[in-house]
Amino acid sequence: MSYKVTEEGNISTVHLDGEIDMDVTEKAKEVIFPVIDSGKEVHLNLSQVQYMDSSGISVLIESHQRALEKSTKVIIKDVSKSVLKVIMMAKLEQILNLE
Amino acid sequence: MSEIAHQDHIEKKAFLVNSSSLKDVRVFCREVFEKLHIQEDLKDELVLAIAEAAQNIVKHAFKNSASPTELMVVQISCENNKLQIAFYDRGTPVDPKKVKHREIDNVKPGGLGTFFIQEIMDAVEFKDGKKPWINHLVLTKQL
Repeated sequence: MSYKVTEEGNISTVHLDGEIDMDVTEKAKEVIFPVIDSGKEVHLNLSQVQYMDSSGISVLIESHQRALEKSTKVIIKDVSKSVLKVIMMAKLEQILNLE
Repeated sequence: MSEIAHQDHIEKKAFLVNSSSLKDVRVFCREVFEKLHIQEDLKDELVLAIAEAAQNIVKHAFKNSASPTELMVVQISCENNKLQIAFYDRGTPVDPKKVKHREIDNVKPGGLGTFFIQEIMDAVEFKDGKKPWINHLVLTKQL
């Protein structure tokens, strides 16, 4: 998994690239959580993520919950069809902020 | 159920029991499912179910601390359009009664892998592992 973080105004966008599984979840958290903790609105761009398993879904849930605790929000953007299927299988499409 | 008659096929591969093997497990599955001409959407689901089961071996049967040479085996077979995926490992014996996913409406991290497996596959069965194996998990799906 590789990543890029861009900032524009009060929005930080984390672009993830690759497959998100148990092997990379700690790395994903190390990238995403400090951005959430900064208090900015976080956009998580998943257009280049073609595979995500339950560990990756846990990162999305933790990010969402952490953002609520910090009074900000995480918006998940440009989800690929394959990842959206997994999010829907977990019945999270109404819980997570998807755009 | 698929209208395609899938060719009978059997293939197995051993992987080191660690999280970095999960990608290799997925590559192996995708290669086998290509040979079986399984349609793309179903292939993605099956790969997810298999990877989740392999993850459970790394995470639960070995509690993320398998010896560096420890192996798990994944066997994919297709016979009469019935797909069977078998997993063999030498981790802590699994008590099938304790294998449960979290309540799906209780949103929190974790506990989804088993749910995905059960959603995708027709049957999930823990069998007695024959020596040298301890755990023998079998997932089945009618194609």
